[in-house]
Amino acid sequence: MYRYDEFDHALVSERIAEFTDQVRRRVDGRLTEDQFKPLRLMNGVYLQLHAYMLRVAVPYGTMNSAQLKKLGHIARVYDKGYGHFTTRTNIQYNWPALSDLPAILTELAEVEMHAIQTSGNCIRNVTTDVFAGATDEEIEDPRPWCEIIRQWSTIHPEFSFLPRKFKIAVIASETDRAAIRTHDVGLQIVRGENGETAFRVFVGGGQGRLPHIAQEIAPAVPGRELLAYLTAILRAYNLLGRRDNIHKARIKILVAALGIDAFREEVERQFETLRHEDLRIPDDELARIQAYFAPPPFETLPKHSGPFDRALLADPDFARWSRNNVRRHRAPGYASAIISLKPVGGVPGDMTADQMDVVAKLARRFSFDEVRAAYEQNLVLPHVKLDDLPEVWRTLHAHGLATANADLVTDVIACPGLDYCSLANARSIPVAQALSKRLADLDFQEKLGPIRVNMSGCINACGHHHVGHIGVLGVDRKGEEFYQITVGGSPDEQAALGEIVGKSLPAEDVAPAIERALNRYLAIRHEGERFIDTVRRTGAEPFREAIYEAA
Amino acid sequence: MKVLTANRLSDGRVLYWGAQGLATEALAEALWLDDAEAERALASAAARPDLFVNPYLVEVNAGEPSGRDRFKEFIRSTGPTVGHSRPDIEGAA
Ligand code: SF4
Repeated sequence: MYRYDEFDHALVSERIAEFTDQVRRRVDGRLTEDQFKPLRLMNGVYLQLHAYMLRVAVPYGTMNSAQLKKLGHIARVYDKGYGHFTTRTNIQYNWPALSDLPAILTELAEVEMHAIQTSGNCIRNVTTDVFAGATDEEIEDPRPWCEIIRQWSTIHPEFSFLPRKFKIAVIASETDRAAIRTHDVGLQIVRGENGETAFRVFVGGGQGRLPHIAQEIAPAVPGRELLAYLTAILRAYNLLGRRDNIHKARIKILVAALGIDAFREEVERQFETLRHEDLRIPDDELARIQAYFAPPPFETLPKHSGPFDRALLADPDFARWSRNNVRRHRAPGYASAIISLKPVGGVPGDMTADQMDVVAKLARRFSFDEVRAAYEQNLVLPHVKLDDLPEVWRTLHAHGLATANADLVTDVIACPGLDYCSLANARSIPVAQALSKRLADLDFQEKLGPIRVNMSGCINACGHHHVGHIGVLGVDRKGEEFYQITVGGSPDEQAALGEIVGKSLPAEDVAPAIERALNRYLAIRHEGERFIDTVRRTGAEPFREAIYEAA
Repeated sequence: MKVLTANRLSDGRVLYWGAQGLATEALAEALWLDDAEAERALASAAARPDLFVNPYLVEVNAGEPSGRDRFKEFIRSTGPTVGHSRPDIEGAA
């Protein structure tokens, strides 16, 4: 894992000192709210419906046990004993007091964490494949590149006042587990000339009011020129992007308005100059950063594990969890384990301080001190020996963390919605809870296979409803909560926006309508066909029918 | 009628304008204001930036939020309608 150097430490502590002074001046009245707001936003502090909210970055979703333990400590001491993991692989605290923020940020800095650039019109936390460094599908670990982008983009003077926020995601396999095509810039590591690392670059993706799937702008930008190329994209956007209308200010609008070819020409023009400037990543710096992400010392193990196989036979609950929540690993005898933060009837992404402690301990003991935050609002222990999985599962189970529903229909992605968010039109959490209770039967869920349901409480789409296999969007109809349903969205390498099926439904009709759509799927699917593939084959029509069938 | 609401500077909690110009966290204790009173309360709240952040008026009917944002104002007055996923309540694993 990356460790701060003296520059990182200095940067973060200077920022804390600055923000501490700003908080002090806000409290004693020298700063008005209008003056303070942009300053607090630069430090991840929002004012939501009921309280301030602090968003802490988990860079590319990677944490060590000390960091997760600290996040739990902050939840316990400064909040109400829990935190909320978001679709940006960040964590949000819903109840911090203004005057506690300097202390919280100081504690975070002790474990090399901060809240810089978690809001505002700048380059946000870079996200990646939650199985980076663990999956056998990747060309190389994408995280050193994420770290390079983090360092380049942190307090980048040219890009601190972009037309709008800017999100970058990086993957290193064909399979896209980071939804790169929904980002302002999506990067896929590929093999370039001479087998060197290169980047397939997508640009102009985004959700929200006017959703777009990113388009390919370059097939293979050489690794060393990545920062020059990113700078060219950002510079073109910074110069040409709209600033007159907040809804039209994201790069997706610019790319759509110019067309990808004209935008590419503009980027190439910038790139011609920039590639000769001082933006090449020096070999030794790349090597230095890559060394932080060297694979942990995996033992040489047989592919099969006696204790694991015996536990599978002995305990059907463990077997089910292993079937649904355990993923293949590059090292024989190891696996990655998904820790579902979606218990039946729970709040998607919420985790108590005690649970954070438990997972931190498991990470230290069983996963080379590593734990990941997934954009699906779950955690992952990336490197667990098969031999150890039964014990890991027992501990998770004892703490309400062994829900065996990863990637199944109750693994719902949901934003905080109107229960917390000041921008919301409707609540998302209770709708997600109603669905997860209605479909709680795991036999039924397994029969359905992988299905992603996404819910957002407003068109800003923090719950990624546009790219849910089934999407649910809260809308406000004359002061009442209603929900618009989409089907056929997909966040992965076959990214697509869902189709709106028809008029919106009242809250209590959402879960039954989705259940009818799922039963329709079971009735019409071909042998072995996943839900999303059935929708792609048939279109939305059969599901529309089922959704609006009189209950 | 209207009530005046804001967030408290120190911790962001929801506040209402109550009797004698004192802030209260309970909507039930908020003063119901006619238009002239509401304007005066807004001016007074604006003069107390150490307490009230972003003061504004909410329409109420018999003490319940009644305007276009009535549901949002209802949730502001009660807090989140859901708990977080605690293992000691329903559904853990
Ligand atoms: S989608 Fe809307 S309601 Fe949900 S968190 Fe984002 S801004 Fe808030």
